[in-house]
Amino acid sequence: MGKIESSCIIDDDPIAIYGIKKSMKEIDFCNKIVIYNNGQDAIDGLNSMVEDGMELPSIILLDLNMPIMDGWEFLDDFIKIPNCNTEKVTIYIISSSIDPRDIIKAKNYSLVSNYILKPIKSNDLLKLLSDIGTQ
Amino acid sequence: MLETLSRTISIEEAPIAIATLDTNLCFINCSRVWEEAFTASNKDIVGKSFFDIIPNSPQKFRKVLENSFSLKDNIIEEQRHILPDGSSQWYKWNIKPWKQSEDEIGGLIIIHTNITKEKHVKELLIAAENVAKMGGWDLDMITNTIHWSHITKEIHEVPLDYVPSLETGINFYKEGEHRENITKLIHNAVTHGKTWDTELQIVTAKGKELWVRAKGMPEFIDGKCVRLYGIFQDIDKEKKAEIKNAQIKERLDLATEVANIGIWEYNVLNDKLEWNEQMFPLFGVKREEFKYNFESWKATVHPEDLERCLKEFDLALSGIQDFKTQFRIIHPDGSVKHIKANAGLFKDNDGKIIKMVGTNWDITQLVNTQLKLDKSEESFKGSFKSSAVGMALVAKDGSWIDVNDSLCTSLGYSRNELLKLTFQDITHPEDLNDDLEHLQVLLEGRGNSYHLEKRYFHKKGHIIYVVLTVTAVKDIEGNLSHFISQVMDISAKIEAQKKSEEFLELTKNQNNSLLNFAHIVSHNLRSHSSNLSMLSNYLVDEEGESERKEIEAMIIDASESLDETVMHLNEVVQITTEAKEQLQDVNLKTIVKNVEKNISAHLQQKNVECDISIDPSIQVKGIHAYLDSILLNLFTNSIKYSSPNRIPRISIEANKVGKTIILNFKDNGLGINLERHGEKLFGMYKTFHQHEDAKGIGLFITKNQIEAMNGKIEVESAVDQGTLFKITFVAA
Repeated sequence: MGKIESSCIIDDDPIAIYGIKKSMKEIDFCNKIVIYNNGQDAIDGLNSMVEDGMELPSIILLDLNMPIMDGWEFLDDFIKIPNCNTEKVTIYIISSSIDPRDIIKAKNYSLVSNYILKPIKSNDLLKLLSDIGTQ
Repeated sequence: MLETLSRTISIEEAPIAIATLDTNLCFINCSRVWEEAFTASNKDIVGKSFFDIIPNSPQKFRKVLENSFSLKDNIIEEQRHILPDGSSQWYKWNIKPWKQSEDEIGGLIIIHTNITKEKHVKELLIAAENVAKMGGWDLDMITNTIHWSHITKEIHEVPLDYVPSLETGINFYKEGEHRENITKLIHNAVTHGKTWDTELQIVTAKGKELWVRAKGMPEFIDGKCVRLYGIFQDIDKEKKAEIKNAQIKERLDLATEVANIGIWEYNVLNDKLEWNEQMFPLFGVKREEFKYNFESWKATVHPEDLERCLKEFDLALSGIQDFKTQFRIIHPDGSVKHIKANAGLFKDNDGKIIKMVGTNWDITQLVNTQLKLDKSEESFKGSFKSSAVGMALVAKDGSWIDVNDSLCTSLGYSRNELLKLTFQDITHPEDLNDDLEHLQVLLEGRGNSYHLEKRYFHKKGHIIYVVLTVTAVKDIEGNLSHFISQVMDISAKIEAQKKSEEFLELTKNQNNSLLNFAHIVSHNLRSHSSNLSMLSNYLVDEEGESERKEIEAMIIDASESLDETVMHLNEVVQITTEAKEQLQDVNLKTIVKNVEKNISAHLQQKNVECDISIDPSIQVKGIHAYLDSILLNLFTNSIKYSSPNRIPRISIEANKVGKTIILNFKDNGLGINLERHGEKLFGMYKTFHQHEDAKGIGLFITKNQIEAMNGKIEVESAVDQGTLFKITFVAA
């Protein structure tokens, strides 16, 4: 169980981002945190990373409800990024929605590893790291 | 003899009409009888000419008299004399010349007999003989000579000079029973003095078979038959007709027996009623109990029919109408039979009705069948008329033969109006072919009925939904005669169905908004509450002052957001709960103009060009506050998402379409990628633009408000060209 190089948070809620960042720091989750405020920004950012030959963040924490492009739309567009080594990226849905329909829908996406209910606590992140390590 | 007489007694004394004439045909003398016969007064006729005294002697007689001088024997002449009064008399003259000396004729002796009576009787006989084709015959048994009269000879087709004998006479009878019979009859007459009168067949000299009536009588003198005489009559025509009649009668009897036809004959003069064999079982009357008069017939007739029958009988007897009728009779066992009766009249030579002959037969079964038929027809008519289901009799060409009240009511036409139309006229065009195809199957005899759901147009133009059942009716030969259509109006049902579909849609919508609402609660409220719980935990653990301040600020943000979300939700709940009762008529143009005025500063700031074209008379069913809110939202959206590359332009127009008002709100702004966001456009907290004010609540509330007013909102948009919101309101 070692820390990872970089992770990405896609969420429009500044408070939620604050919380996640705080928890990450607490457990020394990663070296680098990339933040996008909606799906479109994230697609654009990740796209240019691939173009620049940079390695994608190995973990993406994705909120569902966002303006412009929501989490679902992001998932649809993400797999379309050309030359993208999506296998090295693990995506977790982070949402405050306790609507079972959202949870079921999330499980239908093969890209999505798990669904984590907000607020995100440091324990959630530790479990996440251990899951990756055992893979 | 006369010579002797003249010498002994005077000729005047003779008891006969006798006269002597001289050679000049003048009277020498005459008997008193002669005088009485030819002279009215006691005139002396001696010396007068025969022709002066008997002036009307025919010329022929004059010649006879003149010739008489040369005759030796007496001659007998029968002459018809026309008297001065025009009447005629037959005289028989017996004329003989008398001699003065051996060689010299002195004159004529004339004896006169009036034979008028005898002559008439004889003439009558001959006439009768001719008319009746009746001949006479006379057989002298002593001399065995036979005399046939003229007619008798004609009947036998022998020449007038033919001389028959007893044997040849008998041989004219047809061999076999006829000849045997006549031989026997003659024998009986000769030996037992019996007369005969029989009908037998002869074969004439020309080989023709004839029926004759032979009548004969013997004359006996001293117990010995001396003479046979009789008459002989040609009855061939009558006999053959009789035989033919007998055959016809036999056939008729057989026919009437088989057909169970009763025949009766009523003699009007003596009130005698004859019945044939069939009549008795027909009327259920025993032969021995029948009185053979009019009364006994009357007794059988049903009391309710009697009066009418008697009237018809009288009318027939008075020749006003034929006796062709129908009546009921009651059998002794109480059963009622229906009798059909026809009769004809027989009149005597004076045209007086003497009898009526007629037929009777039992039509009970026919009448009962007819009654049943009438009843079933009646019950059909009854149910046709009063049926709650629309019914029609339809001709093969589709025209109505008859329609019932229910159908008229369903379709809104009066009976007369509907009868002028065909079913094609009132059928919804989309349903016509289906109906016609089914009908064709019946017309071609490939089916008896069909069943379909179709639409008619009501007189007022709206649609009537029906279930139609068409049944083919065939005539007695099995040919298609017409159709019976049953038209069940299911409009109410269809309307109810539509309503329940609408309700279902409404429920579905409400359900959807409930789900949506649940989602909003589970997500939006929770996102704030989770933030708050997270932040408050941090606050408890955090010791750094600046950090705490930061967290506290975020807690305030989160609680404000929570408050805002709760307000929004409240607003939505308000819309769905309070709306519909508050609908009122609102003038659309006024509303639009007001909202435009309220945000005019905002519009001016952005240089928005507004083009409002709404007929001032347009009113919608709406809620003032909602309409304000909707328009304000649309205006601000258009301003907010206007394109920086062009002058913002908003055009608003409204049109009345049927019972709705359609408001088109169009801008030339950024537009929305509908392919991508279409589904979520009117969802809560959905934003599609990178804009600081985008909260994703406006269109959600707008949609809810419009739907609360029974309207709907649709959108057309192209990115970077503009957006058109099309809002449908209910017209006031």
